[in-house]
Amino acid sequence: MLEVKGLRKEYGGLTAVKGISFNLNPGDIFGFIGSNGAGKTTTIRMIATLLEPTSGTAVLNGADVRKDPMAVRRMIGYMPDFFGLYDDVKVWEYLDFFAAIYQVPVKERPGIIDSVLELTNLTVKRQAFVQSLSRGMQQRLCLARCLVHDPALLLLDEPASGLDPRARAELKELIAELGRMGKIVIVSSHILPELADFCNTVGIIERGELLAFGPVSQIVKDIQPHRVFAAHVLKDPEVAMQTLIQLPSVVDAKLVDGELRIEFVGDIEAQADIVALLVDKGFRLAAFREDSADLEDVFLKLTTGAVN
Amino acid sequence: MKERFLDVFVHNPMLVEISRFRRRYFSFSTGNPGNSVILTLVLLGYAGFVLIVEENREAMNPISIVMFETAVLTVFAPMMLYGSIAHERERRSWDLLLAAPITKFQIVGGKFMGAMAALSIAVGLFQIPILIAAFGYKDTNWWNLFEATFVSFSFLMTVCALTILFSARVKRGLMALGAVLGILTVALVVFPALTYGAGIDRLSGDPFLYLHPFTVLSHLTMTDEQNKVVSAWGWPQTFVYIFLSLVLLAWAENTLNFAENEVKFLPQGDKNA
Repeated sequence: MLEVKGLRKEYGGLTAVKGISFNLNPGDIFGFIGSNGAGKTTTIRMIATLLEPTSGTAVLNGADVRKDPMAVRRMIGYMPDFFGLYDDVKVWEYLDFFAAIYQVPVKERPGIIDSVLELTNLTVKRQAFVQSLSRGMQQRLCLARCLVHDPALLLLDEPASGLDPRARAELKELIAELGRMGKIVIVSSHILPELADFCNTVGIIERGELLAFGPVSQIVKDIQPHRVFAAHVLKDPEVAMQTLIQLPSVVDAKLVDGELRIEFVGDIEAQADIVALLVDKGFRLAAFREDSADLEDVFLKLTTGAVN
Repeated sequence: MKERFLDVFVHNPMLVEISRFRRRYFSFSTGNPGNSVILTLVLLGYAGFVLIVEENREAMNPISIVMFETAVLTVFAPMMLYGSIAHERERRSWDLLLAAPITKFQIVGGKFMGAMAALSIAVGLFQIPILIAAFGYKDTNWWNLFEATFVSFSFLMTVCALTILFSARVKRGLMALGAVLGILTVALVVFPALTYGAGIDRLSGDPFLYLHPFTVLSHLTMTDEQNKVVSAWGWPQTFVYIFLSLVLLAWAENTLNFAENEVKFLPQGDKNA
């Protein structure tokens, strides 16, 4: 379990992270969302023991990043937003080097290297020099490096940056698999739909403050408590709006860009009643669809775009 | 103490540097054709050098070849090591090491031993012409030759340690190379030239010249009759060089305590490393 307690980082007069707290359990895939300069990387680097917090701490399975950083380092796999690879070694040598750093017994290393290469789909590149790999392969090799010591926590800072769509899809599947393996995964990314796809928890950070934290569905519900439907009525949409607002299941209705936006509380029957009413009253209904908020809407609503 | 020794010399994953240095400088299978071409030229030059020594072995004091070896490797060592830590920082693999359970002592120790392993191969190659000259030269003093070899190797250790220190203390590898070559030029060429210009006698015991490796080696080329204080040259300097190397390495290790990728020439404490 990872407990982040009041983590704060100051650089001179600038507070990069303002005392953020959250907990994550094994299997959690946590999407860390924020603009550039919001404090994501600083937070990740503090958890990775690369920066000492000004105050607060993070505790991973009982090991405190401030009191026992070596113990934390043994349990984390850190993948920064750059590769940091050695070009002049072969793929297996690179992994063997990090396995040695993480004190994986010599006898176990070949088997583990084979496993992580298979998991990251790099088995055929075992004997290749790192410099000969494509960007996507290098990214997967970085991930393989993070896995050689079977860490409890993976810190992935912008893991999908610069990857083509196929490599991105493969990486997403891989991260989801790691979550299923019971690892805690923290992923920071700018690409919000991508995170919403495979993260079961997200946190939105701006100017060092954690504005929202929890499951995607919960956060969406917090900012948009009612379901929203969009109806495209061809004639007299204002009249249709006045008609709908009479219904007890309709909390509010507005006309936005020629479409009706209907805030709704009710079951599927009440939902069907809306359509039936519009048709019965003779409105020409061209489209009717649910238009609920997504992670991007939440992000835009909660943040102002300000940076530190 | 024993545990620390084992951590650095036996269980140190950074010993992978040995195979990296070997591959970079002594292998044709690097995947880089440029390296192969340079290595071929170096080997051809080496073969030519051995032939020249063979032709002139009766007239060639073997310690003069040790001096040549020292001069060549004094330039080669900084070129080999200037990026040892600075390049880790430039390519940002440094963060991966700092986030891993490895000590700074292991990092510095591994880099140093990798370089010394590579230099040992180079020194080993020089032993062939040295032995050819030693057996051909009529006045070979085997004890002085033995001492000269240690003086040379220990001085190269100091050069390596100095380069690692600068590599750890600057942001760019080339800055480290420039600084080290500059220091060596001043210490080995400019300062002795100025000293001579000022009329100071080399044999008067000037402490700086006393530690100058080429002064030491030139003393070892003399016969006992020519040099009455020969016992003062050789081992004392070797021990000073080894001590100096250890001090420089300890300083380099301490340097790794920098904050958030800032590089400070003075240690900042161990807060963020």
